Amino acid sequence: MKDQHNGDRRRFLQVMALGITGGINGLISPKFTYAGTGKLITKSIPSSNEQIPVIGLGSSRTFNVGDDPIGLDNVTEVMRSFFNAGGKLIDSSPMYGSSQPAIGYGLNKLAKTKDIFSADKVWTWESDNGPAQMEQSRQYWQVDAFDLMQVHNLVSWEEHLKTLYSMKQQGKIRYVGITTSHGRRHDELEEIMKTQPLDFVQFSYNILDREAEERLLPLAKQRGIAVIINRPFQRGDLIDELVGIPLPTWAKTIDCNTWPQFLLKFIVSHPSVTCTIPATTQVEHVKENMVACFGPLPSHAMRKRMIDYVEKFI
Amino acid sequence: MGEIISYSLSDFILFTDKVYYRQFELYNHAIWPLHLISIVFSLVIIYALWKKPAWAGRLIAVLLTVSWVWVAWAFLFERFYQIHVVANWYALGFVLQAGLITWYGVIKNQFALFVQSQPRINIGLVLLFISLIIYPFIAFITGRSWLQFEMFALTPDPTVLATLAILTLCKVSSVLYVIPIIWLLISGMTLIVM
Repeated sequence: MKDQHNGDRRRFLQVMALGITGGINGLISPKFTYAGTGKLITKSIPSSNEQIPVIGLGSSRTFNVGDDPIGLDNVTEVMRSFFNAGGKLIDSSPMYGSSQPAIGYGLNKLAKTKDIFSADKVWTWESDNGPAQMEQSRQYWQVDAFDLMQVHNLVSWEEHLKTLYSMKQQGKIRYVGITTSHGRRHDELEEIMKTQPLDFVQFSYNILDREAEERLLPLAKQRGIAVIINRPFQRGDLIDELVGIPLPTWAKTIDCNTWPQFLLKFIVSHPSVTCTIPATTQVEHVKENMVACFGPLPSHAMRKRMIDYVEKFI
Repeated sequence: MGEIISYSLSDFILFTDKVYYRQFELYNHAIWPLHLISIVFSLVIIYALWKKPAWAGRLIAVLLTVSWVWVAWAFLFERFYQIHVVANWYALGFVLQAGLITWYGVIKNQFALFVQSQPRINIGLVLLFISLIIYPFIAFITGRSWLQFEMFALTPDPTVLATLAILTLCKVSSVLYVIPIIWLLISGMTLIVM
C-alpha cells in the first residue's frame, strides 16, 4: 500500500511538473485511467501513422475457456479492465481454441465491437481454406472487419499473403502482417520482411531473449514495419524466475513498481517495437500490466542497466 | 506441412490446467445421470471377469466399444475440442480403437481367452482397481473440486486404463494396445506440459 501511495503522489507531482515546465497538455487535459495518470504511451504504425497504445492484450491460453460461463465472464472482466486502462489492441488466432468466441462474447457484452484494434491470424496449411477461416474468425469476434490480419507462424505464407493483400485492397482488412514465436524461423522471416510490403510483423522478444535485436528489429525500422512482441514474459516463466528477487530501487524512476511492469517497459522502449501483447486470466494482472503504458520509458543506458540487473540473477 | 515439425507439444496445449479440469466439471453436470451407466458397466465387467461366463468376452468387448465411442463423441469431440484444436484427431483415434475392439473382441471373441500368468493377472487387477475405483476420487484427493471427477466409460483416462487392464487379463492381439498406449503418452505429456 505504501508503494501504491508513493506512486500516486509521484504521478501527481509529475502532472504538476508538466504544467510548470510548459507541458500544458498534461495539465489541461490529463488522461485519468484505471492504470495511471498522464498520457498513455502510444506508438505509430509506420505505414499509416495511426497511433496505438504500447500495451495490447494477448489471448493465447488465457482466453481459451470453451463454453464455460464463469470463464467467459472472467475474460470479459479482463477485457473491461484493459479497455478502462486505455487498451486497444487484442490479438488472437484460430489456433487458440475457443479464444476467438470468448473475445466476441466479451466485446459484445462490453459494447466494444467497434472500439477496438482487432488483430487476428490465418492459420491453415490449405491456403484455399484461408478466406473461410478468416470469415469464421470475424463472426466469432462479432466485429465488422479486422484491423490487422496476420499469417500465423509463417504457415503457407506465400499463398496467404496474396489473399491478405487482396483483402486489404478491397477494404476488408486495414493491415497485413505475419507472425512467428519462440525465436523460430527468424531467417525466413527476415527474407519475408525484406521482400514483402508488410504493415506488421510479430515475434518473440524479451529482456532475456534478445536475438531479434540483431536483425529483425533494425530491419523492421528500416522497412517501416510495425512490430508486435509476443511472449513478453516467456509464457510466465520469466516472472516465476524473478519471484523473490528485489526490483532495483532505480526502477521507480521509470514508474515501475513490479517485475511485469519492468519487463514490459524494457520491451516497448525499444525504438522499433510498436507494442507488446501480454496475456493473462487475471484482472489484477491486466491492471498491473497497463501501468507500463504510462510514465517515462527507459533510455538506452537504462535499458542496458535493466539487462545487466536481470542477468545477474537469471 | 514442413512447418508442423517446428511445433512442440506445448504449442498445442493452449489452455490452462484450471480450464482443463473445469471441462470435467461442466461435462459431469451436462451428462448427469449417465454416471449410473458407468457404475453398471463397471459392475458388469467385474462380474464377467470374476465368474467368466461363456458370454463374458463378447459382453466386455461390447461395453468397451460403447465406452470408447461415447468418450470420442461426448467428451473429446463435443467438449475437449472446444479448447484443444487437435482433440478431433483424438476422437478419431478413439473411434478407431472402438472398431478394433469390435473386430477382435466381438467378432473374433478374443476377450474370452483369459491369461493364466499370475503376475499378469495381478497387474491387470491393479490397473482395473485404479481405473474403476480410485480414478473417480483423484480430483478430490488432489485437492480439486470433487465435481471434476473422471469415470470409466465417460472420460478418456479411466476408460483407457480399464481397457489396458482388460487387455492384460486376456490373450488378445497386440494391435489393441497401440492406441491406449499412445493415449497414455499424450495424456501424460498434456498433464506435464499444462
